[in-house]
Amino acid sequence: MSAAGIAPFDEERLESISMIRDSARGLLGADLARVRALRFTEPGFDPAKLAEMGQAGWIGLAVPEQAGGAGLGMGEAVALAEELGRALAPEPVIPLMLSAHLLAAAGEETVLPLVLAGEAVALTAWQDRANTLEPAASADGARRFVPMGAGASHFLWPVREGGRVALHLLVRDMTEVTNETTQDGGHLSTVRPEPFVGHGPGSHIADDIGEALAEGLDRAALLTAAALLGGMEAAFAMTLDYLRTRQQFGRVIGSFQALQHKAADAKMQVALTRAAVEQAAAALDAGATGDAARALVSRAKARASEAGMLVQQACLQLHGGIGYTDQYDVGLYLRRAMVLAPAFGGAALHRRRFHALTPETEDA
Amino acid sequence: MNAITPREPLDLDAMPDEAFRLHIRAWIEENYPPELRNPPKRLHWEENKVWYLKLAEKGWLCPGWPREYGGLGLSPAKQIIFTEELERWGCARCNDHGIIMLGPLVIRYGTEEQKQRFLPKILTGEHIWCQGYSEPNSGSDLASLRTEAVDMGDHYLVNGQKIWTTLAQDANWIFLLVRTDKTAKKQEGISFLLADMTSPGITVRPIVNLEMHDEFCEVFLDNVKVPKENLVGQLNKGWDMAKALLSFERIYLGSPRQSAYALARLRQLAEKMGVADDPLFAERYARHRADLEDLKALYARYVAVLKQGRPLGADVSQLKVIQSELFQRITETALEVAGENAALFGPMEGNRHLNPGALYIQARPTSIYGGTNEIQRNILAKNVLELP
Ligand SMILES: Cc1cc2nc3c(=O)[nH]c(=O)nc-3n(C[C@H](O)[C@H](O)[C@H](O)COP(=O)(O)OP(=O)(O)OC[C@H]3O[C@@H](n4cnc5c(N)ncnc54)[C@H](O)[C@@H]3O)c2cc1C
Repeated sequence: MSAAGIAPFDEERLESISMIRDSARGLLGADLARVRALRFTEPGFDPAKLAEMGQAGWIGLAVPEQAGGAGLGMGEAVALAEELGRALAPEPVIPLMLSAHLLAAAGEETVLPLVLAGEAVALTAWQDRANTLEPAASADGARRFVPMGAGASHFLWPVREGGRVALHLLVRDMTEVTNETTQDGGHLSTVRPEPFVGHGPGSHIADDIGEALAEGLDRAALLTAAALLGGMEAAFAMTLDYLRTRQQFGRVIGSFQALQHKAADAKMQVALTRAAVEQAAAALDAGATGDAARALVSRAKARASEAGMLVQQACLQLHGGIGYTDQYDVGLYLRRAMVLAPAFGGAALHRRRFHALTPETEDA
Repeated sequence: MNAITPREPLDLDAMPDEAFRLHIRAWIEENYPPELRNPPKRLHWEENKVWYLKLAEKGWLCPGWPREYGGLGLSPAKQIIFTEELERWGCARCNDHGIIMLGPLVIRYGTEEQKQRFLPKILTGEHIWCQGYSEPNSGSDLASLRTEAVDMGDHYLVNGQKIWTTLAQDANWIFLLVRTDKTAKKQEGISFLLADMTSPGITVRPIVNLEMHDEFCEVFLDNVKVPKENLVGQLNKGWDMAKALLSFERIYLGSPRQSAYALARLRQLAEKMGVADDPLFAERYARHRADLEDLKALYARYVAVLKQGRPLGADVSQLKVIQSELFQRITETALEVAGENAALFGPMEGNRHLNPGALYIQARPTSIYGGTNEIQRNILAKNVLELP
C-alpha cells in the first residue's frame, strides 16, 4: 500500500513505528484461519495469544515506563492498532490498553502488571447506553457494550460522585455477565454488579480518574479508528487483486471504468483516514491536550467510522456474489467494521463533538 | 383445450379494489401462521411449506397466472394490492421461483403438454423450483455460460456447474440455461432446460452467506440425462426467453416493499433510541420517506404499462437500482442511529423488529443479484440513453 504522502513523524519515530509494525505482523501472521476458528465461540479470543501480545509489550505500549509500560507514543500505538485491524485479531487489545491507562493513572500496582502481561483481562465497563462518551450515571446499574466480556477476569468500574469519577475494581465473580453475539462473531457484554453497600461495587481504587478516563476513551477512539484503517486497507488490497484477476466479458473487471471510479473513490477515503489518524496521533505525541486534542481525535474517528463502512461496502459490491459468502474473507472485514465503527463513538457523535470543540475563525 | 380448474371459484379480479383488499386481508390474518410473521431470514421449504400449502389449497398461490392455468388472473394492479397485503402482515416469502419465474415462462413459451405436466405441480407444491443461470465464471456476463447439454438422440447429457442458486437445497426441479451450440455467437447457442433434481449426477452444496444462513448453493451437473421433452421453447433460443423474464424480475426487484419495510423498522428503532424528534434525524427520515414515495410513483407508472398489456422497456432497470439503493441507504441510517447496537448479530432485546445489523447485511446483495447495479447502469446508458 502506498504511503499517501509523508507521515507527520520524524525519521526516528518512523523507524520505531516501522519496528512495531513488523513485530505486530510477525506475531499476528497473515492467515485468517485462526480468526475464523475463534468466531462464534466463547471467550471468542485466544488467551495464550493475548499473553504473547502482553509479553510483546502491546498492552502497555503507551503506558509510562515507571508504571511498567513501554512508554512509547500514539504514533506507535496507532500503527499497532492498524495491524490488529488488518489481521482482524479478536483479542481485546484496545480495550485492555484503555484499562492499563486507567490502572496506571490510579497508581494501582497489583492488577496492572497482570493486565500488561496479558494475563488478567480487566475490561473497563464505563457506559450505560449507546452513542455516548460519558461514563455511566449510576454506580449500580447495568454497564453495556463491554467488548469480549466473556473472557474477563475483572471489570474496571468508573463511578460518578459529584464532579468526580471514582474507579472501582471488581473481580468477575462479583458480577453477572450476559453476552450478545456481534456480526464479527465476537460479542458485547452487559455487566451487572452484585448488590453492594457503600459508594460502589468491588474495591475502590481511586478517588478521581475523570481526566484519565476522558483521555483514555479518546485514545481508544483513535486506536479504533486506526483498526478500521487497517481493515479498510486489507479489504481494499484484496479487492484490487480481484479487480485485476476476475474476468467477465473477456476482460478483467478492473478495466471497466465504472469499477475504476469506485476503486478510486475508496482509495481517497483511505487516504483521508490515514491523514486524519496520523495527524491526531502526532499531535497527541507532541503534547496537544484539551479541546484541541479532542477535536483531532473526533475528526479522525468520524472519518474512520464513516470511511470504514463506505470502503467495506464498495469492496463487497466490487466482488459481486462471492463477496456475500461467509467463506470469502472480504465480508469478515465488513462485519468487523460494523463493530468498530460505533465503538467509542460513531461518526455522527464525533463529527458533532469536533464541531463543538473547534471555534471557527471569523475571516473569509 | 384441457384447462386446469381454478381452485378459487370467485373472479377476484372483478371486485372493486378496496373490497378486494379487505377480502385478502381478512383471509391472511385468519390463516397466516403467527409464528412465521416477519421471519428474520429467508425461510426454507420445511419452515414455509405450511403457508405455501395453505395458499395452494385456497387457490391463491399464483395471483398473476391466468385463471385457466389455476391462477387468479389478477391484473397487475390487483397483484400489487395482493403483495401489499402479504407484506403488511409480514408474510414470509415462499419458495417462489416456480410461481414467479418458471410458471409464467412455461405459460408463455411451453407446449400444451409441458403446461399440463408442470403447472399443476407448482400449484400443489409438488414441484419446488430453483433458478440455475449463474456459473462461477459467468455472472454479469451470463451469456458466456459453459454448462453444456449435448444431444444424445433421445436425451440431453448435461455437464457443468451452477452457483448462487437460491434455495437449491429445497428444490426438486431446476430450470437451467445451458449451451447447446458452441459454434454460434454466445447468446445464440443457449437453450432453456428443465431438470429433475433427483436425477443421477446432480449434487447440491449449500453456501453460507453473510447472514450465516445457507440460502444459496452450488449445483454440480455431472453427466445428467435430461429428457428431450424438457426443452422449453426452441433449441438455441433460451437467451431471448430468459431476457424476457428478466424484465419481470426487475419490476419485482424494483417493488418498493423492501424499502418500505426498512423504513418502518427505522421508525421503530428511532423511537427506541429516543431520536425520533431529533431534528437531524427527522431531516434524514423525511428524505427517506420522500424518496420512498417518489419510488412508489415511478413504480406505479411501470405497473400501468403492464396493466395495458404493453412490454416493459429496458428502462425498467432504473427501478431496480433506485429501489435497492434506497433500501441500502435506509439501513445505513439505521446503523448510525443504533450506535453500538448496530454491531449485534441478533435482535436488540429479543425484539425481532429491531435488528439493524441484520437488515443492513440483508440489504447488501440487492445491488448484486438480478443483475448488478453496475450492469443496470450500463443498460441505462447504452440501451436507453443510447450513449456511444
Ligand atoms: C443473494 C444472491 C442470490 C442469488 N440467486 C441466484 C439464483 O437463484 N440463480 C442464479 O442463477 N443466480 C443467482 N445469483 C447470482 C447473481 O445473479 C450474480 O451474483 C450476479 O449476476 C453477479 O455475478 P457475479 O457474482 O459473478 O459477479 P461478477 O459478474 O464477477 O461482478 C463482479 C463485479 O464486477 C462488476 N462488473 C461486471 N461486469 C461489468 C461491466 N461490464 N461493467 C461494470 N461493472 C461490471 C459487477 O457489477 C461487480 O461489481 C444470486 C446472487 C446473490 C448475491
